[in-house]
Amino acid sequence: MSRFTVNEAFLSQLELLQSLLKNNVAGMFGGNRQSKNYGSSCEFADLRDYVPGDDITKIDWNAYARFEKLYTKLYLDERQMHTRIYIDASRSMDYGNGQKAEQALRLAAAFAYLSVCEMDKVSIFAIRESEVVPLVSGMVGKQSYINCIGALNDLEFWGDSYISKAIMPTNVGRGDGMSILISDFLTDHDYEDAIGYLVDKKRDVLCLQVLSREELNPQLRGKMHLFDSENASSTWRRNIDRDIAAAYKQALAYATGRIEEFCRARGASYLMVDATRSIGDVFFGSLADMEVIK
Amino acid sequence: MTFLYPLGLLGLLGIPVLIIIYIIKSKYTEQTVSSTYLWRLSERFMKKRNPFSHLTGLISLILQILAVIAISLTIAHPILTMPGAAQDYCFILDGTGSMQMQHGKDSTRFEAGKQEIATLIEDSADGSTYTLIYVADKTTKVYEQTDSKAVARTMLDELKYSFSESTLADAQAIAQAYFAQNSGSKVYLVTDRGYQTHENITLIRLCDESVQNYALSQVTYAVQGEQLSVNGNVTSYRSDATLTLELYVDGAEQPVATSTVVTKREKATPFQLTTAACEFSSLEVRIAQSDVLGYDNSVVLFDPQSDDTYKILLVSDRPFFIKAALGAVGKTNITVKSTEEYDNDLGYGLYVFDTFTPATMPLDGSIWLINPLASSDDLGFSVQGEVALPEAGVLELSRDSTSMVQTLTADMTGEEVHLTRFVKCGMYRKFATLMTLEGNPIVFAGTNTYGNRLAVFAFDLHDSNIAMRMDFVMLIRNLAEFSFPAVLEQNNFYCTDTVHLNVLANTDSIRVDSPTGQVQYLSCESAVASFVPAEAGVHTVTMTVSGSPRTFFVHAAIPEAERNPVIAEKELSLVGTQTEGGFDGSYDALVLMFIFLALLFAADWVVYCYEKYQLR
Repeated sequence: MSRFTVNEAFLSQLELLQSLLKNNVAGMFGGNRQSKNYGSSCEFADLRDYVPGDDITKIDWNAYARFEKLYTKLYLDERQMHTRIYIDASRSMDYGNGQKAEQALRLAAAFAYLSVCEMDKVSIFAIRESEVVPLVSGMVGKQSYINCIGALNDLEFWGDSYISKAIMPTNVGRGDGMSILISDFLTDHDYEDAIGYLVDKKRDVLCLQVLSREELNPQLRGKMHLFDSENASSTWRRNIDRDIAAAYKQALAYATGRIEEFCRARGASYLMVDATRSIGDVFFGSLADMEVIK
Repeated sequence: MTFLYPLGLLGLLGIPVLIIIYIIKSKYTEQTVSSTYLWRLSERFMKKRNPFSHLTGLISLILQILAVIAISLTIAHPILTMPGAAQDYCFILDGTGSMQMQHGKDSTRFEAGKQEIATLIEDSADGSTYTLIYVADKTTKVYEQTDSKAVARTMLDELKYSFSESTLADAQAIAQAYFAQNSGSKVYLVTDRGYQTHENITLIRLCDESVQNYALSQVTYAVQGEQLSVNGNVTSYRSDATLTLELYVDGAEQPVATSTVVTKREKATPFQLTTAACEFSSLEVRIAQSDVLGYDNSVVLFDPQSDDTYKILLVSDRPFFIKAALGAVGKTNITVKSTEEYDNDLGYGLYVFDTFTPATMPLDGSIWLINPLASSDDLGFSVQGEVALPEAGVLELSRDSTSMVQTLTADMTGEEVHLTRFVKCGMYRKFATLMTLEGNPIVFAGTNTYGNRLAVFAFDLHDSNIAMRMDFVMLIRNLAEFSFPAVLEQNNFYCTDTVHLNVLANTDSIRVDSPTGQVQYLSCESAVASFVPAEAGVHTVTMTVSGSPRTFFVHAAIPEAERNPVIAEKELSLVGTQTEGGFDGSYDALVLMFIFLALLFAADWVVYCYEKYQLR
């Protein structure tokens, strides 16, 4: 199978994507950007009442002259963000023509590139069984990106994956950037704990659900005995007719709707991505609409 | 229900085979998908199904099983029994002359009657039986109690119309006998006649009483001096009428004479058409007005002697006496040749050989031998030598009372005919001896071995005074009439008449062409051939004699009793009591089975396409 490869052509596309994003939107989260806490950078953020004990050098004397009251100037705390990208490496992501796996890798590579362009630190993990396998750790800067991103080419998709069991025991950081979860989420509730956990860790969470055309619009008809690619014991046998096909569409809407609703409820972002959709469309279309990129 | 071919039901054995094939073939297709999660989840969204919906997967099998059943039944050819639906039908079809009258726009009463019967046959239940009695020249039972509609229709269609005259008495007798044995049968009479009462017979009358018919009858002609007159009667059958009569000569397009006649209803009114006397082959009288029966609106008259010009070859070195006598007969066309000039010529009606006996006798005409010098086996007599009398003997007229002798010696006195020399002949065929001398046959007539009429004068005309006597003229006339027999004594007949033809010697064939082109050949083995003109109009008789065709015409008229378009009769009843005659009929379901089978195949094909192209 022709696997997605990070090569010069793809990197050229990412350069173009990055320049377009710079020209058309304010930028992307992350990079050398302000944290959600007040810190000691030079960039003014706000005023607050002076409290004895505060650094008097931070008193805003102009405000005192105007209001005759002491205010302490607050500055944004400026730190390097750490983007963590989790790729579901189960067999279901690669089954069939492999479009889902390719799309997942493309998305991961694209987000990683955009992040390193913002001088963020980027780590990429594969979720396999109940473990998180680091593919790229602490990648900073474009040169590092070029050196490390090829590791995605070697990623194999096999076995099962338990997202929550894999992510929750690991160090996911706290309030220092974005966690991007790329999976087909074709599971019942396995992802919910993980998303909740990441949100609790004050991370910006983006869930990307990658689905293939066969999953979005299945063409199977007639008497079918279907086997799960990840679990051979999980089978489903039916005479697929128009009614069942319609029920499938409803089930798909229900499943995607449920995860979207869950993400919204937890302050996470969610996007369902067609495996055949181009990266440009994903970023300029859906992600821009969702204001994931600003 | 019965089956014509019960072995066809063996096809039902295909059903278990079909089911086995279906079971083997209908396995689930195994396929691995990325995840069965969504498929399992979809069951939560399944609508509650109709309890019969699980049969939808079996529709194709059900249709195929039904198709196998239908094929087996179709091969077995089921015949359904319909209790009491069948009937026994007896049809009497009037095919006499009046049924040829026009009925409606493009049909005759006869054709309309056939259509009525055909409709009754088609509308009857299968299993019914049909009997057809046809009244034409003679009354015949065309078929009896056949249960095949096809046979009944075919034989009905093949019935030819007739111009005959007949009552329905014979048909009634046949129907009565049939009804006596089959009191449940339904008897239909299809005719144009009206009956005041009819019992046990359903009358289908094909008669429009408002129609008109005109007819000619008893038409003759006569030549008186310079005038040719045609006389006859004309009748208008339904009302008084003023009719125009036209006279045509030899089929010309324009009439040579016309006459207007005022007729009373059903009264034969005489007419006369006159014109200048002329030579003609045929005269035709026509009624200018049209009516429902055209056959009786014209009559064609022929000159029966027009074809009988006596074409004679006289081979003689001294032809004076015989030529003069033949010339006195009239209508003669005499060719004279010397014995040296004669070269076995053919094409004459009469060959006269005077003091000359050819080696081969002609076969296409009559032969007279005068003073035969020799004979042959074919002639039927022998020449035994010439006898010279010391003094003139007296010829005696035969006293034989046979009709032939009487005819050939008519108007002869037999007095004072002397002879000085004669040829002694011995006859070994039967000849009619007309004149004798002391017991020796001197003048005799008959036929030779080939059937040619033969007359022999066993003396030289110059050795007798007969050529100076009136008896000679009478004898030559009588022998000429004997030698030129009239093929037709008359030319006008009714369709019911028998036409007799005198067969000429050495006739190869006799062909009769009817007005509609029907051809029949008559036997020419006997002296007289006969036929009944089945159609009204001019029949052409072609008699081929020794390779030369001779044509004669016969006009046949429709019988006068059949010319009235409205014929009223008193009663027509069948004695007996009509009983309920219904019996088990049958219905041939083959067509239905074929339609059902076609529907099943079409339905199965639709289901196949529905599944094949994932329409469901």
